[in-house]
Amino acid sequence: MFFDVFSNIGLGLTVAASLQNLAYCSIGALLGTLVGVLPGIGPVTTVAMLLPISFTLEPTSALIMMAGIYYGAQYGGSTTAILINIPGEPSSVVTSLDGHQMARQGRAGPALGIAAIGSFFAGCVATFVIAFGAPPLAKLALQFGPAEYFSLMLCGLVAAIVLARGSVIKAIAMVVLGLLFGLAGSDVNSGIRRFTFGIQGLADGIEFVALSMAIYGVSEVAVNLEKKEEEVATVGVVGSLLPTMAELKYCTPSILRGTVLGSILGVLPGGGALLAAFAAYTLEKKVAKAPRNFGHGDIRGVAAPESANNAGAQTSFIPMLTLGIPSNPTMALMIGALMVHGITPGPRVMTDRPDLFWGVVASMWIGNLMLVVLNLPMVGIWVKLLRLPYRMMFPMIVGFCCIGAYTINTNITDIWVMAFFTVFGYFCLKLDCEPAPLILGFILGPMMEENLRRALLISRGDPGVFLQSPISIAFLVAAAGLLLIVAAPAIRAKREEALAE
Amino acid sequence: MFIRAPKDFWSGLMFLSFAGVALLAANGYSMGRGGRMGPAYFPTLLGCVLALLGLILVVRSFAIHGEAIGQIQLRPLVVLTACVILFGLTIQPLGLVIALTLTTFAAAFSGRETRVREAALLSCGLTLIAVTIFVFALRLPLPIWPSL
Repeated sequence: MFFDVFSNIGLGLTVAASLQNLAYCSIGALLGTLVGVLPGIGPVTTVAMLLPISFTLEPTSALIMMAGIYYGAQYGGSTTAILINIPGEPSSVVTSLDGHQMARQGRAGPALGIAAIGSFFAGCVATFVIAFGAPPLAKLALQFGPAEYFSLMLCGLVAAIVLARGSVIKAIAMVVLGLLFGLAGSDVNSGIRRFTFGIQGLADGIEFVALSMAIYGVSEVAVNLEKKEEEVATVGVVGSLLPTMAELKYCTPSILRGTVLGSILGVLPGGGALLAAFAAYTLEKKVAKAPRNFGHGDIRGVAAPESANNAGAQTSFIPMLTLGIPSNPTMALMIGALMVHGITPGPRVMTDRPDLFWGVVASMWIGNLMLVVLNLPMVGIWVKLLRLPYRMMFPMIVGFCCIGAYTINTNITDIWVMAFFTVFGYFCLKLDCEPAPLILGFILGPMMEENLRRALLISRGDPGVFLQSPISIAFLVAAAGLLLIVAAPAIRAKREEALAE
Repeated sequence: MFIRAPKDFWSGLMFLSFAGVALLAANGYSMGRGGRMGPAYFPTLLGCVLALLGLILVVRSFAIHGEAIGQIQLRPLVVLTACVILFGLTIQPLGLVIALTLTTFAAAFSGRETRVREAALLSCGLTLIAVTIFVFALRLPLPIWPSL
């Protein structure tokens, strides 16, 4: 087992270190940093815009590039959070608390340095977590029947609800609505076209790319345009990037705690980088000595969340690659990309396409190394990019979304779908209905129906089938427990506090 | 007005109307039985749950106080949606170059301040980049020029 992992990582390294994949890895990482730096455009939008490009690539290269965008964005987001107090990504909001204070005290360099070192360390650990954790999980998943899968998906969706911001009822409703949208198109079993309303172009269902680009691309532009453009004030002196030995020693426990917490939280559906960063900062304030320094430029307040968000970003690949369950919208997009290549993400990927699985895992480690080597010296360039006004960026986003939605199937209906969901997405954002649960529901809708159908077919209509296997029961109990937890008023207040910012 | 939580009220109404559409449409498909689910089974189930949730939101919005809906500015939304539709209308007959130039140029007018010359230059530049990347480098099957 132990030896297996290393031979597998070896295989992965040979795949990831091929010239072509190295190139895509670095393109992804750099592009990720770029969108991480720029506020108003995030990894979801970027991955969505790049989906049409990925179809012309080999699936391994495509996934390596998309993964690079995802974890690269975490790096980029922290750079702007520290230097100008504008978090490029939501997951770096907490970094700005102490990071920007450090920058104002003239310690921007060490803040950036420790963020990079913490992220790199966390990235390395997370890579091994995936390498050791994923195979047993996939083995377990291979024994899942339809009942277990249905319960697992239910549990995943409930977790997404728990972690969504705002009202729980709205989040549940968004999941259900997403499931419904996912069902549109030809029904696999009966061949009947559902919810197409006589529109020929909807026969294959609502195009996921059009839906996600509408919501995360165009709608978000519409919302962003309502805000006033903020003046960017840059901190001039970055200074030496390397933290001192004393600072490094001071931070080591924080980095370790952040890495462990991030690795665990990343695996949860609905988790990923954002939750990991918040949780790590909260934990640090409780556990660390001299907590009064937090918020006034404590270097540990940068180290812990930065390690955690990178670890979380990477371990969120585990449920996607082993179970086929996305833990956040970016993962859902990657599942979409794999499906276009005829690969259904799930426990079989590891045995059927070991090159793909281990290649992507190894590329994360290489990508993290690249980010440290390439990014730190380029901080100045990234900061200059921030002077690019939003009015020059958003026409590009709109244009690329249009091209992406159209080229995915060269189906003009997808453009109309995008127009519809732009309006829908705008009002969802205005009404505080989080789109993430909808996206997860959309991806899981057809799979859930299929597994429910099969499970009930085997049991001849007896719903007790979900209570017959211990695995299925465990998932259902977990789902019910999670729902109870959010419903309980005491914990609800805490959750709101934690997710408030 | 008796509505105390406008955000909840309107989102509840939205969910109710989607549930209504789903239930009406699913009515036309066969329901099947538990052991042999028909195409209407799962959508009907979801539609009922969604309707219930929408109802809770609407009813609750009369009882519990909630946030007001923030200011809604129609201009960005309308212009951007129009841009998407414009792209859909022009891409097949006029080709990528014209469609994309028009779309990105029009998109610039959804912002607060628009500089016409800058927008024109920007849209031309973006089109050039897009054609280079998508058509020449990636060879995506897109028409470049108008088909006669």
